[in-house]
Amino acid sequence: MSESLEKLQNRILSDARRKAEETIKEAEAKAQQILEEARRRAQKESEDIITKAKVEAENVRRSILSSKVRVNRLRILDEKNRIVQDIIHTVEDQLSSIARTDQFENTAHRFVTEAVKAVESDQPIVRIGFKDATKKNLDGMSRVLPKGGKLVIDETPIDDFGGVIATDPEGRVVFNNTFKSRLERLDNQLLTLISSTVFAE
Amino acid sequence: MSGIDAVKKIVETEAQARRIVDEAAARAQKIISETREQAERIKQEAVSSAQGRREGILREAKEKAEAEARQSDQETEQTLDTYRKLSDERKAAAVTKAVALILNA
Repeated sequence: MSESLEKLQNRILSDARRKAEETIKEAEAKAQQILEEARRRAQKESEDIITKAKVEAENVRRSILSSKVRVNRLRILDEKNRIVQDIIHTVEDQLSSIARTDQFENTAHRFVTEAVKAVESDQPIVRIGFKDATKKNLDGMSRVLPKGGKLVIDETPIDDFGGVIATDPEGRVVFNNTFKSRLERLDNQLLTLISSTVFAE
Repeated sequence: MSGIDAVKKIVETEAQARRIVDEAAARAQKIISETREQAERIKQEAVSSAQGRREGILREAKEKAEAEARQSDQETEQTLDTYRKLSDERKAAAVTKAVALILNA
């Protein structure tokens, strides 16, 4: 009786210890899993942060550089434009002073001829006006006109810089051959010519 | 030993056995709890370290871009100087050609 009771007690304690040992082993295994999972997630999260940081860094770099490059391109364009405009103003000054040069008579003659030809009328009315041009300078232009033509001399330059405007008697056909009009008609060629002369390598 | 004594012994032994099992369960709970705290620390340290690297990457990118921007400024200044010199040297020729174009076109 006493011996079998002791065996029973031992078995009860032995079962309890085995169960306790299993519980601890299970906990340790689970703890190991938790740590491995935590390390894996930490690694993943870390990599995600770095990957996003690299993309963000590239965006920061592009943002700083693109705005700077844009500003600098505009500065260069502004400077080129300023230089070209300065040259055009000088050209306008020279054109408006043409009456004081020996080119004047030929030029005025040619402008009148072109204008008369353009309106294709037997009785063209030609207005002519240049800065500093004398009546004497301009009277000779009548010779270019057909017999029925009329020359009107303006005392002030036509369209700011001077030139010639021809119409038919009814005023239906008008040909503007002033410097301003020629500058506008030749605008693209003028800009190309100035740019290629100044900025070409 | 009487039957009552035997039963008492068994009851005492089972109580002891329950204590062993309960203590093991408590210890297991503690292991899991401490491990979860350790896991949280691992995550925090990793994130903190990654945030530090992120700051470094961004700072480096910004410094590099600013250096490139300064380089762009210098190149632009050189280009502007070149254009101004070209303008000084070639303005007269450009004006002559442009006047000729307007007069003769």
